[in-house]
Amino acid sequence: MKVPLGKLFWAFLQVGLVAFGGGGTAQLYQAIVLKRGWMEEREFLETTALCRILPGPVFANTAAHLGMRLGGVPGGLLALLGVLTPGALLMLLLSFAYFRFGAVPGSVAESALNGVAAAAIGLILATMLRQAPLALDSLKALGLALGVFATYGLLHWPLLLVLLLFVPVGMALYWQEARLPMPETEAEGRG
Amino acid sequence: MGETLEVFLAFLRFGVLSFGGGMANLPEMARVIIGNGWVTRQEFADGFALGQFVPGPNMLAVLFYGLSAAGLGGALAAALGMFLPGAVGAMWLVWGWQWMARAQWSRAVRKALVPISMGLSASMVLVLVQLSVDSLFWGLGVLVGCFLIYRGVGVAAVIAGGGLLGLLLGLG
Repeated sequence: MKVPLGKLFWAFLQVGLVAFGGGGTAQLYQAIVLKRGWMEEREFLETTALCRILPGPVFANTAAHLGMRLGGVPGGLLALLGVLTPGALLMLLLSFAYFRFGAVPGSVAESALNGVAAAAIGLILATMLRQAPLALDSLKALGLALGVFATYGLLHWPLLLVLLLFVPVGMALYWQEARLPMPETEAEGRG
Repeated sequence: MGETLEVFLAFLRFGVLSFGGGMANLPEMARVIIGNGWVTRQEFADGFALGQFVPGPNMLAVLFYGLSAAGLGGALAAALGMFLPGAVGAMWLVWGWQWMARAQWSRAVRKALVPISMGLSASMVLVLVQLSVDSLFWGLGVLVGCFLIYRGVGVAAVIAGGGLLGLLLGLG
């Protein structure tokens, strides 16, 4: 399905305006599949699953992918621009304010940001707890997760080295299971 | 100009490597950009906190880091470097996806990335705690926030609550 570029940009811009709190992929689903019917549900789910294999936020990647399908390369770039621009402008505004008025250590702003950071870390922990039963369902999964945490989190190895080591090992461990065509049952990743 | 390019290349590297969720590269990003003197430890933590307020990926915080490193040009360079690799790959997938969906290696990578992401997230929590939780009070705050969100309280409400609590504490 092809969509005029103006309409396409507007649709993704609207998603970019409201995609708070890491729920962006669900918003894309609402906007593209449910509200506008530009894509089949199954196609959308397969797309987001594949976008997990790529680096970067699943949300932005999915938007670029959907935009490209709906409007070619310009569509992909406009979709990416649409979902990122509102947040980017607000982020720039906040950053300017921060560096201009300076959150000096011990100030009220600093203290408020400490509270926000604590809550956000709590969010990451809660997401991990929710995913853990599905994501760490076997000894090999547990081993991979611990191995990555030990080398990357504790020993501070470079990320490239950690990935070069653990992705092939993980592929080898899951090679047999990956042979059978299976429905998508992966744990939800963060956006 | 040279500085902007330096920022772009650094963030391009983070962008290419950020597998397993957009923020998995946060520990390395913290080490590198604090090491480069582009932000202080406190500023890194504050940029992360500010990233919670904007719609879209939390990784828009790279604009903050880029701005601190090299001004407005640095901010744009950081965002381009961070988001372009994944987006270009995602656009390429339009042609490759049917082959990718069937390919055994792609299924194996996706399965392996699930537990690997858990390890990356755990590393991220560790580095964030080291950078921004400097008191027992906020350590408990992390646990309370985690508990509330796990029990289904809205994310926005918990984050706003954390900010408000900090505000009150700062005023007091």
